[in-house]
Amino acid sequence: MATATDQLVGFGLVAFSLVLFVYYTLWIIVLPFIDSDHGIHRYFLPREYAVIIPVAAGLLLLLFIGVFIMFVMWKSRKHAKKSD
Amino acid sequence: MTKLGQWLCGLAVLGSAWAALALAPPGLQPPAPLRQALLPLPVYLLVAFGCYSLATVGYRLATFNDCEEAAAELQEHIRAARADLRRRGLRL
Repeated sequence: MATATDQLVGFGLVAFSLVLFVYYTLWIIVLPFIDSDHGIHRYFLPREYAVIIPVAAGLLLLLFIGVFIMFVMWKSRKHAKKSD
Repeated sequence: MTKLGQWLCGLAVLGSAWAALALAPPGLQPPAPLRQALLPLPVYLLVAFGCYSLATVGYRLATFNDCEEAAAELQEHIRAARADLRRRGLRL
């Protein structure tokens, strides 16, 4: 059996991605077919944000990955210089 | 055709279908709610794929079982290797 922490984190990830998927599906696919005077529209931001937020998050992710690679390469270059 | 070629062909077909519907002139456009749901579809599919990957990683993390036999076998290998190296004179 995986440790309790592992199980907690793992199932937490599953629950989080499920919630995110359901919310996003409702936002993008279901909402256009619901009349604009229905109460459900209160729980969702304007539709532009449905595209802006994932694109911005993706760019941030790429930024972090790039910075991390830069950091690791810089660290290893210093070590190679020391051993020379 | 390679797998990459197949995937690219599939992507090209789906992409051109989406583009044809999204860039249609006002006379040939699909009805308004359908068009509103159709336009962000690439971003939606990307986010859906990301959610699926995250859920898979989380699920496999939570259900990974211990491998008692493999662990015992590994310890055995380590002990045997240590004894062998000590015999050959390496100080551990």
